[in-house]
Amino acid sequence: MTNLVEAPSQPGQQPSGAGTSLRRLVAQTEIDLRLFGMLLALAAILLGFHFLSGGTFLRPANMVTLSVQAAGIAIIATGMVLVIVSRNIDLSVGSLVGFIAMSYALLMTDLLPNVLGMGPDFPFRWAIALAIGIGIGAAFGALQGFIIAYVGVPSFIVTLGGLLSIRGLVWYLSSGAAISGLDPSFQLIGGGSQGSLGGTLTWAVAVVGCIAIVALLVSSRRQRRRYDFPVRPMWAEVLLGVVGCAAVLGLAAFANANLWPEGLANRIAIEENWGPAPEGGWNIPTGLPNPIMLVIGVGLVMTWLATRRRFGRYVYAYGGNPDAAELGGINTRFTILKTYVVMGILCALAASIAAARLNGATLDIGVNYELYVIAAAVIGGTSFSGGIGTISGAILGAFVMASLQYGLSYIGVISPGQNVAAGIVLIAAVGFDTYNRRRGS
Amino acid sequence: MNIRRVAAMASMTAILVAACGGGAATQAPASEAPASQAAVDCVVGVSWNNFQQPRWAAADQPNIKDTVEAGGGTYIDADANLSNEQQLTDIDSLINQGANVLILLAQDTKAVLPGVQKAKDAGIPVISYDRLIEDPAALYITFDNVAVGEAEARAVLDKVPSGNYVLIKGDPGDPNASTFLPMGWDNAGLADKIASGDIKILGPAEGTYTDGWKTETAQKNMEAIIDQANAAGETIDAILAENDSTALGVVAALTAKGYDFPPLSGQDGDPANLNNVALGKQYVDVWKNANELGKAAGQFALDLCAGTAMNELTLPDGFIDPTVAPVAGPKVQDFTTPDGNVVTSLILQPTPITAENLDVVINAGWWATKDDICKGVTASDPGATACGL
Repeated sequence: MTNLVEAPSQPGQQPSGAGTSLRRLVAQTEIDLRLFGMLLALAAILLGFHFLSGGTFLRPANMVTLSVQAAGIAIIATGMVLVIVSRNIDLSVGSLVGFIAMSYALLMTDLLPNVLGMGPDFPFRWAIALAIGIGIGAAFGALQGFIIAYVGVPSFIVTLGGLLSIRGLVWYLSSGAAISGLDPSFQLIGGGSQGSLGGTLTWAVAVVGCIAIVALLVSSRRQRRRYDFPVRPMWAEVLLGVVGCAAVLGLAAFANANLWPEGLANRIAIEENWGPAPEGGWNIPTGLPNPIMLVIGVGLVMTWLATRRRFGRYVYAYGGNPDAAELGGINTRFTILKTYVVMGILCALAASIAAARLNGATLDIGVNYELYVIAAAVIGGTSFSGGIGTISGAILGAFVMASLQYGLSYIGVISPGQNVAAGIVLIAAVGFDTYNRRRGS
Repeated sequence: MNIRRVAAMASMTAILVAACGGGAATQAPASEAPASQAAVDCVVGVSWNNFQQPRWAAADQPNIKDTVEAGGGTYIDADANLSNEQQLTDIDSLINQGANVLILLAQDTKAVLPGVQKAKDAGIPVISYDRLIEDPAALYITFDNVAVGEAEARAVLDKVPSGNYVLIKGDPGDPNASTFLPMGWDNAGLADKIASGDIKILGPAEGTYTDGWKTETAQKNMEAIIDQANAAGETIDAILAENDSTALGVVAALTAKGYDFPPLSGQDGDPANLNNVALGKQYVDVWKNANELGKAAGQFALDLCAGTAMNELTLPDGFIDPTVAPVAGPKVQDFTTPDGNVVTSLILQPTPITAENLDVVINAGWWATKDDICKGVTASDPGATACGL
């Protein structure tokens, strides 16, 4: 037993002959090797930048910035997985994000107060704006989905049309001008020191997460027993539980090591009468920023949708074999339509982050999002031939892209260089994956 | 249910707005200008490269149109929607519609040349409006972009003579971003102060470029630079941003990071940025009063119609605001282009706007209204006086 536990902890030393037994051990933990490999790649990228930046890159503050920058792309990428898995594409996401972001700005600066009579003090204006934005996203998604699924126009064409025309509509909304001045409560969606959970809540979330991981492991083991499915060996279960919990708690500790900037803390302390600053200044942990909570929430819901709900299983069934799915009695058209509605809703969430971060909207919000989102999904292992792709992979893919972008600008590489690097990584990631799959089969 | 309905209403409104806005902006009198009548009157044809930036439709277009029509001429125009090819087609159709003078806002300084050649062949004078066209026959009317950069840097350098600077530049493919504006910065003394060690640049030494002048990109880059400065224990004392869209991204990054607002530059006079000036989040916004640029172009177009030689063009005294008039007076002068062509030009002076002189832009009838500029300004903000608080 002890042997078995120790073996995976020294993967670097295995001689080639022992490879098979190690592979067997890893297989017993049922870890998704692809995902694990990507985590390693992400870690390598981060460490690389840490080294290049002279050891300042892996500070909590930087990692928080990086993840907030990744949030919008990560959220939309989870939906793109379903769209690509069902053998479609959505090129209109960037324009839709722009349209909805501009809608938020217009709603809060003009339409809500001047047309609907909801002044700045109207309760839950941010939520009303968000709800309308989600409605707009779902409506655009339903429209595009309808044309794709029921009229039968290829999704590439429909969403390419969407990319052009929706971006044009953004201009008409704003006459091209930047609009700023959102509600302070809406701005919290975008993160920042005040738009974060704070120390205590972050720990609470981590503990709940930890309990959930253990509960999931236990219940899944029980379920498998009940239906006489093979179960993971006990050591693997324990290992997964411990590693999972450690990761969640470590993440919380890391996020809590990021403190409010001194100047901001002092300013708010005066505004809110906290009294004199304690010895050594205010040390207020920011904890996990709201956009990251949104990513985590969306990731969980989408994973549940994709793996546990009939809708999600239909999407994968259709993607794996459209004819079989159709003959099997699945309402494939409605399923496709729904993937685009989900996409629209996710765009509305991503738009809320972008608009909140900017405290407004510009004509160019969301430009090129579609490319980054598709790249994130594909780097995350989603296959264009349909039927294959995971939500968690896409989120990781978004983080890989964002790490590169942020890391390169952190070490002072100018933007053309960033684009070159992003393009190369995209091709390399997919190339490596294709190579691996071919070797595996 | 309700959400659905509201959403439907919102998109319907958008479509309505689309229908109304689009029709009014372009090509209104195009069909009613028969060629025979054009020979008598002066028909001024304007080819815009885009209406996506709001200033063209909001400031330049109405001023050219009003000036031309007040002088008895006819105004026609077309929008090329950022396409070089479309612009060439537009120029053809403006010539076919009987234009006697062409005003071109070029999408590209060189790609537009075949169109210019056609106009020359037809004996039609060409005015290159705001953006240079590399052809000695075209009259160049613009704001002095080097002077814009100079005004940006001078304002910020006066405020912060030494310390840590961040340079946020625009699109790497735009000569304004890579050449003219930085040249102005250096004219104001930036290069000397860097050489003498008074000023240290944080981030890349040549500045950080922003693809497509995108606000989101500037925001992300600035966040990385702030993180890096924090990690290195450095304070950012001032930021030179080349224009307003990038300055907006800088302000968003500073806000997200809970940073104070060090003096920050920009140009264009966009409403959101002038608002930031009033709120103390942006120190200076170098304003190119495009109302005056439009008036000057409209008047010169009429003069060229009437047969005035290009190198003798002069605006009547007081026709344009004296603060924007060229130092040598409101008449044309020779200008040597980057490609070495000598063109006749009228180069107007930009106006740096800070919280102290915000009233200048408020009173000028600029498309950023007082409501835009003073939104959310309280008595303790720098713009309080200008906003009448």
